[in-house]
Amino acid sequence: MVILTIKTLLSAVRPPYPYGEELVDQFSFVLKLCWFPLLISTFALCVGAPGLQAAGILSLFGGLDRLGGFFVVTAIRWIGPVVTAVVVSGVAGTAITADLGARKIREELDALQVLGVDPIKNLVVPRFLALMIITALLDIFAIVFGLTAGIVAELVYHQSLGGFFATLFANASVTDIWGSVLMCTIFGAIIAIVCSYKGMTASGGAAGVGRAVNQAVVISLVAVFAFNYVFTAVLLATNPELQTIR
Amino acid sequence: MNAWLEVPRGWLDSFGEIARFGSQVTGQVFSGRVLRFFGESVRQAGILIFGSALIIWAFVFILGLQCGIQGAYLFRAQGVPSYAGLFSAWCDLREALPYAFGYILSAKVGTGIVAEIGAMRISDEIDALEVMGVPPITFLCASRLLATWLVLPFVYLAGIGIMYFASYLAVVEQVADVSSGGYSLIFWMFQNPPDLIFSLIKGMAMATVIVLVGCYYGYTASGGPVGVGTATAKSMVFNIVMVHILGMLGTVIFWGANPRAPIGG
Repeated sequence: MVILTIKTLLSAVRPPYPYGEELVDQFSFVLKLCWFPLLISTFALCVGAPGLQAAGILSLFGGLDRLGGFFVVTAIRWIGPVVTAVVVSGVAGTAITADLGARKIREELDALQVLGVDPIKNLVVPRFLALMIITALLDIFAIVFGLTAGIVAELVYHQSLGGFFATLFANASVTDIWGSVLMCTIFGAIIAIVCSYKGMTASGGAAGVGRAVNQAVVISLVAVFAFNYVFTAVLLATNPELQTIR
Repeated sequence: MNAWLEVPRGWLDSFGEIARFGSQVTGQVFSGRVLRFFGESVRQAGILIFGSALIIWAFVFILGLQCGIQGAYLFRAQGVPSYAGLFSAWCDLREALPYAFGYILSAKVGTGIVAEIGAMRISDEIDALEVMGVPPITFLCASRLLATWLVLPFVYLAGIGIMYFASYLAVVEQVADVSSGGYSLIFWMFQNPPDLIFSLIKGMAMATVIVLVGCYYGYTASGGPVGVGTATAKSMVFNIVMVHILGMLGTVIFWGANPRAPIGG
């Protein structure tokens, strides 16, 4: 997998660049598949977990306007990137593994190599780049819908929205956003590499493709969450200004 | 425009069929007909324990660490670092654990079932079962559902323990703003046995849906090796969305009207 990462990175930057069209194709394919599951997932998760649970305890203190500040911590710093990664790996990652695995089983990848077409440059690189970009962009989408869920939770408790927005914008910082987006870019890279690798090494007929998809999604989820833990710990420890409540 | 609406339209198409298929499988379990194949259930339960339990616990451990550091830094900022236990108690038990359980189950168990049953469907083994007089839905799907119900509650409860341990590590040992005793006091004050039961119900509802969806997509797979791959991918999409919806419903039903916190009146 490490070898595949290095090869992908090298052939992404080394000319010629024949993968432009495939990149656009993959980009729109992932976007079409992901937007609806992501919308429902972030909305449901943010209404439930940070929305109603936190609003419950904040209403005991009589400080429901503080929910905005809490949403910076949860929706932007944590849930946005994580749910994006889960949805992208579950939706786009599985599709990539199934696609490449099917090509491997039907020996199309070998045929490509015989024809002198490099499968890494023409198949893996566009998926890698597309997933990196789109995961970062979908993260913004997820944050927007997460905050919408926060507004819904606030309305459930019959609060005015002024306090929510005031604490939200007071607490959100540029570091939060770029941390979130950068994290998602790396998530996209991890997912693309794991899923392409598992697809390209699938073997064993019908059961093999299914098993490859299964392993790919498990490995990418665990890798994403492990990386998320390290990244969050580093981000919070190295940027003390994130920890002040305003 | 049609391509953009393909995913939701596909769900609308298959939702009713999945509900019908699911109720059929559940009926087989409740009517006791599945007990004819109890040996198969025990075998599937063994596969679940050896194949999936470890990965679930590893995943839960990582998420427990996350809940710990987020809570620790959040409450340090508020000036009450000793209350980090509040965040990790709620985050662990009420939200993160059911979601972590749902994610990893749909990734590991759900897609695994689709791959397995789908491969059987493609190689005509399911038809062969029918010819031999073995009811395939009972033998393949109902026995897996029974195995899920036998094993996963215990895996879930063990996962809670592991997650608590991970949060403790993150808050007390890693960030180290609060003493062990101070953390434990708040941590145990903000949860009680009903919370545990509610959390378990949430997790098991997710597990049931995931297994049923997996069985459905595997059972109806078609189109050669490629078909198995696409069915696996589709089941994952459906499962992720169902996990989130069930999680939200659980929160609204169990804690929506009453946060169950030992504060005020």
